[in-house]
Amino acid sequence: MSTPNRRSGIRRAGRITLGVAAALLFGLPVLWIVVSALRPPREIFEFLAPLTPRVLIPETLTLRSFSVLLSGTFPRALVNSLVVAVLTVAGGLLLCSTAAFGLSAVRFRHREAVFAVVVISFMIPFEAIAIPLSQLFRDWGLQNSYAGLVLPGVANGLAIFLLRQFFLGIPSELKDAARVDGAGLWTIFTRIYLPLSKPPLIGAGLILFMFSWREYLWPLLIISEPGMDVAPVALAKFVGQFQFDYGQLFAGALLVAAIPAVLLLRLQRYFRQSVASVAIKE
Amino acid sequence: MAIAPPADGGVRHLARHQVRRRLGSLARSEGAGGAALFIAPALLALLLFRVMPAVYTALASLETPTGLGLENYRYMVTSGFFLQSVQTTLIFSLIVNPLQVVLALGLAVLFQGRFPGVGFTRTMVFLPTAVPLAVASIVWGVAFRPDSVVNALLVSLGLGPQPFLTSPEQALLSIVVLLSWVGVGYWMMFLIAGLHDIPEVYYEAAAVDGAGPVRCFFSITLPLLRRPLAFVTVAATVANFVIFAPVQILTDGGPQGATNLVMYEAYQRAYAFADLPLASAEVLALLVVMIVVVGVQFRLLRSET
Repeated sequence: MSTPNRRSGIRRAGRITLGVAAALLFGLPVLWIVVSALRPPREIFEFLAPLTPRVLIPETLTLRSFSVLLSGTFPRALVNSLVVAVLTVAGGLLLCSTAAFGLSAVRFRHREAVFAVVVISFMIPFEAIAIPLSQLFRDWGLQNSYAGLVLPGVANGLAIFLLRQFFLGIPSELKDAARVDGAGLWTIFTRIYLPLSKPPLIGAGLILFMFSWREYLWPLLIISEPGMDVAPVALAKFVGQFQFDYGQLFAGALLVAAIPAVLLLRLQRYFRQSVASVAIKE
Repeated sequence: MAIAPPADGGVRHLARHQVRRRLGSLARSEGAGGAALFIAPALLALLLFRVMPAVYTALASLETPTGLGLENYRYMVTSGFFLQSVQTTLIFSLIVNPLQVVLALGLAVLFQGRFPGVGFTRTMVFLPTAVPLAVASIVWGVAFRPDSVVNALLVSLGLGPQPFLTSPEQALLSIVVLLSWVGVGYWMMFLIAGLHDIPEVYYEAAAVDGAGPVRCFFSITLPLLRRPLAFVTVAATVANFVIFAPVQILTDGGPQGATNLVMYEAYQRAYAFADLPLASAEVLALLVVMIVVVGVQFRLLRSET
């Protein structure tokens, strides 16, 4: 065997070692959540002193934690989260795609400046203005409502940026031909631009969903009725209780994490495309 | 039917000069008026959800018992609690951002190489990204308990048990750990996209010249990855500047103010202490910093190099 070959063999072994280490570091906590949700709750803090592999290998698997959790108020919170996320995606796609179209397909003076103001404003983390905005929402009577939870999330700077980037790449000949045929801007938008833009629309939808699903500070600020709590807040309140069942806690954590995880893994291709169009300037 | 053809049978039957004249008049008519209708909802959202709260908080921050004035700002910068919170946030930023970016870069480069199981291990690193921060905080809160898995692991490795969230020295670092578990995989994806964009020929040429992996990293990867790296650094800075959930769920800013990040400080000022004018001054200070940093981030998105 020649030296370069041996060297590349060592390099390969090094890569595998590092890869496995990284997978364990990031993956083991995930496995611990899954196992703790599926084992009898009293076993969660066993096998720790001394630490044995049994901590990650349950003797018996049970869905009891899930059935107890789902017989309480938690399903309501999950439904609230889903409703808010779906409404945010629908409203957000409408608002962000129209804005992106207006800022890309139509030429007008100061377009770049308007674009900069819109994207910068909506890229400022929402948390930064959440406290004063919650005061306004209370004045407007939007507390404890789906509208109150959904509205601030529909305008998303990254989604607008992403869609506009894609729209700019659509040949203007298509638009010009349609205009000669007498099509209005709305027709061009709905019949030419949107059908061509499935990948960035899915990518933007994913961004909007993730944003909405992980919201924590905002629902804390404008929701006071327990029936309107979203899932992450309901779970955190659960921990705040004097005595709580760790099995239910892990079952809830797993449910709240699994929904975006499944979406993200299934739509990974679109997520990667959106990330690429942000990270790379062609 | 997508686009109804006009009565004259469409473009094909129009003379060239007619087409040009039509296009000319269309270009004129499609000015700000047409665009305005499309941008209007976004601008309305901008006005209602960004400008109005900013103005509202600016006005509220000027309210003092004796009328409008800068008293709140004076108090904010002279009394210790806000400056201490800013200091904590800056120290936190100086730890969490370099750590996340360096780890994300290292992992992105690792996964650029080919080895068995590369797809699976990359997915494992990416998976925690899906976990909402509040949920990650809850779960890591359990893991960091003195009698829980993290200490069990340390003890089995021959290290002593640590206090983690209950210690002023370790609480902030514990939060850094859980944030990185969620964040590193996310930033890694941007850097992987950046790496894919580097033409393979550079590495091939370097290999012909006998350059090793270290040389390749510093001479090819790092210079050509500058833009995505800068973007990720600024985006991480922005995201980590307004961290709230782990503090509220796990430490309440403590022990002894060790985790009192500015977002939590403003929240506490507004609700626990019901001092809205002072909270407003803090929010405005935070907002100004954010506008500057996001401005830089936007320039990075748009810059040609």
